[in-house]
Amino acid sequence: MAEKHQDKKKKETILDLGKYLDKKIRVKFSGGREVSGVLKGFDPLLNIVLDSTIEYMRDMDDPYKMTNETRALGLVVCRGTSVILISPQDGMEEIQNPFANA
Amino acid sequence: MLPLSLLKTAINHPMLVELKNGETYNGHLASCDAWMNVYLTQVICTSRDGDRFWKIPECYIRGSTIKYLRIPDEVVENYKDEPSRGQQIRKDQMRRGAGSGQRGGRGGQSNRGGRQPSNLSSNVGGSTNSIGGARPAKQQRR
Repeated sequence: MAEKHQDKKKKETILDLGKYLDKKIRVKFSGGREVSGVLKGFDPLLNIVLDSTIEYMRDMDDPYKMTNETRALGLVVCRGTSVILISPQDGMEEIQNPFANA
Repeated sequence: MLPLSLLKTAINHPMLVELKNGETYNGHLASCDAWMNVYLTQVICTSRDGDRFWKIPECYIRGSTIKYLRIPDEVVENYKDEPSRGQQIRKDQMRRGAGSGQRGGRGGQSNRGGRQPSNLSSNVGGSTNSIGGARPAKQQRR
């Protein structure tokens, strides 16, 4: 029974957040907010605990446009249902248009 | 051609994912699940207005935020080539249907769901009182 449950769990999650524990990750939320922080905990519903969290502020007039402004949020619990994207923070960099010559 | 099984055959292929918020993600599909949650590697994220770009080594995207995915043509060809896919699916469905039918039948006959066969046999061998007592009680509850 326990083994079966484990299998089910494995099926439910294609993402092992365990490998990001104590690493800095980037999280985007439905509605447009975007934060990065150190992953401290998570569950299968994708609820997430982040420490030393920074929110990346958006343009007041165009909420889809990122500014360079940030604000510190500290320790936060992110609700899984509103998480739409998770990626590791290191290795993420802004680049020039890679499709320009295509 | 089922959307999610096509997506499954697209694993390890490059693809473009557009989210409802207008951002697009180009990357290699590493894995996906029944909710269309996808895990991409070697990703290039393009902003909504299409003038900012980010390189991301890997990212997880919730299926419910996806607007559409663009999948290379060769995946569609692979999908067609896979031997007797249609028959396989039909077989699976038959098996599933038959299985649930049997389960339902057994449950109806015994009113017990067959949880503890050892108890059942011991009860049959010994006193039948417990069974006789238990059955009407369960039926009353229902």
